Amino acid sequence: MVHSKQVRFFNTLIRRMAYMTNTAKKLALVGLLLAYATLTSTATHASIPADPFGSVMWKTMVETYFTGGDVVFDERVVVSAPKSAENQMHVPITVDATRLKNVKQIVAVADLNPIQHVLTVRPEQALSFIGFRLKLQQSSPIHVGVQTEDGTWHIGGALVDAAGGGCTAPAHAHSISNWMQTLGETRALVRRDSKGDARMTIRMRHPMDTGLASGIPVFYMNKMVVKDEAGGVVAELDLYEPVSENPTLTLKPSVGSASSVLKVSTRDTEGNEFAFPLSVPAVLAQ
Amino acid sequence: MTFFSQKLKSQKASTRIDSQSRRQLLKLLSAGCGCCICGSVSARLLKYPLHATEIGSKTWAVHGESSHFNLDNGGNIVNVAFIEVPDGVVVIDTGPSKRYGEALLALIEKTVPGKPILRVYNTHHHPDHCFGNQVFDPAIIAAPQGVIDNINTEGNAFADNMYRLVGDWMRGTAPVAPAVVLDASTEEIGGRQFSLFYLSGHTSADFVVRDDSTGVLFSGDLAFLYRAPTTPHADIATWQGAIDSLGALDHELILPGHGPSDKRDESLAQTSDYLAWLEDTLIGAVDSGLTMNEAMQLPIPDGFASLNVVREEFERSVVHLYPDLEDQLMPIIDVTR
Repeated sequence: MVHSKQVRFFNTLIRRMAYMTNTAKKLALVGLLLAYATLTSTATHASIPADPFGSVMWKTMVETYFTGGDVVFDERVVVSAPKSAENQMHVPITVDATRLKNVKQIVAVADLNPIQHVLTVRPEQALSFIGFRLKLQQSSPIHVGVQTEDGTWHIGGALVDAAGGGCTAPAHAHSISNWMQTLGETRALVRRDSKGDARMTIRMRHPMDTGLASGIPVFYMNKMVVKDEAGGVVAELDLYEPVSENPTLTLKPSVGSASSVLKVSTRDTEGNEFAFPLSVPAVLAQ
Repeated sequence: MTFFSQKLKSQKASTRIDSQSRRQLLKLLSAGCGCCICGSVSARLLKYPLHATEIGSKTWAVHGESSHFNLDNGGNIVNVAFIEVPDGVVVIDTGPSKRYGEALLALIEKTVPGKPILRVYNTHHHPDHCFGNQVFDPAIIAAPQGVIDNINTEGNAFADNMYRLVGDWMRGTAPVAPAVVLDASTEEIGGRQFSLFYLSGHTSADFVVRDDSTGVLFSGDLAFLYRAPTTPHADIATWQGAIDSLGALDHELILPGHGPSDKRDESLAQTSDYLAWLEDTLIGAVDSGLTMNEAMQLPIPDGFASLNVVREEFERSVVHLYPDLEDQLMPIIDVTR
């Protein structure tokens, strides 16, 4: 943050520049730019809070993925993950940030993966909740940033111990000769929980190739949009290489208590597009 | 964690020692490692505290701990057994490492001195049951083809993981597959008849041995007692069938793969009940759309809460069993592309 005293000083300087010679103006301008650059860069670094997970990549994660606002660790971002990964190709993660209001986006990163960005979710008409599975290349902190409308990043996370190798092993699909035929095959389930909230779980066949397994180029599902009957966006997801093969995603769309039909469309990095409807049951009358 | 906490403990201990006991301290340091830098893991003497318990006539069980693989137990969480037959010794399973195998050999020699080892059986391919194979002559190690195939396919990956989990205890350990392929229903070893049963469910190949003279049934991991069953390669329905088959066999005593020896078939009932609860619970979880993480937090009923490591094993089982249940319970949706 730039201090208000400093801001007043710069404002005065700029006003006075009107009365300066051209050379003095140029000099003052260069000085101003330098001062601003120094101030803003030190300000960004100073505002990174210490990482409770002790990640060596924490500063890089903030500077790369959690930009444009303050960064605070917040217990309202609940990240559930197993302490130890039973299967490094499928590490289940659930993020529940439903206690935060005005959420703009949810960004999940695996700090020590060769590709860190796992996914971004923009829950337009959905609760701030996402279940997914990811690949881990080694034991790693998982950081999840939930950005609210004011720009602030609320951070939660977990440490996952893993045998490793999840990102460089070929997808299971490559051991099946006809895997291309089942690309995009979708299983889905929509339920109402005891509070009447809808939750949808979908699992789509896709190898989610990271490009890091020998001889297998990058190929993954990178986009998913869920819309309501009227065409309003319920949630938008950007998926990246570390999302597990056959992405399994759980969302909580806010669709009211009546029955309705959601429209899901997805796209992968080779331009394949898949679309399907999902019926949401009405909340049962008590 | 263990590394740091132990180092911390030793630091605290050494500050407590006053000048009077300096000589004692020096003695202590030279007995251990003497160098604070290399840490407790390498400073510790890695010795398996193996103990032979006679569970039947001339039949000994070597019981492991009821915990998970860790740096303290060196993977000794398993039951291994040996039997003195008229002409020698028969061994059932070999433990988690070469070092364990060596300790087991020493224990056998101490218990039944001078007797040759005639046969070693492997009940299945999980590393805690067959990674001591290295110290025995492969020509006497026997298992069904399915167990041998599983060791050949997965042995190296298991070894990688075991080195990661228990560290230096594993030094020099490499998977060794049995050389003798079994397919008969009985075999005679050193003047004693054994019945051989080819089952599956805990893994794709579970091998059960019965000593026909004593009626002791070596169930491998088809039965657990007071320790939560593990499911990384399980097919629950098949496993339940295998438990029924074991219950129908004539036997006097069961030595489960983990837990105390069992005279009343308690291990069969407990394993079966747990697996039934596990399956019902996970079917309910998948069907209500719970994420794996939410399922992992479901309550464990009182009846199973006292089983050792039950929460950890339940969490692992969620990861093992969810994908197949999703296949069964989540309908395929028509997709436009």
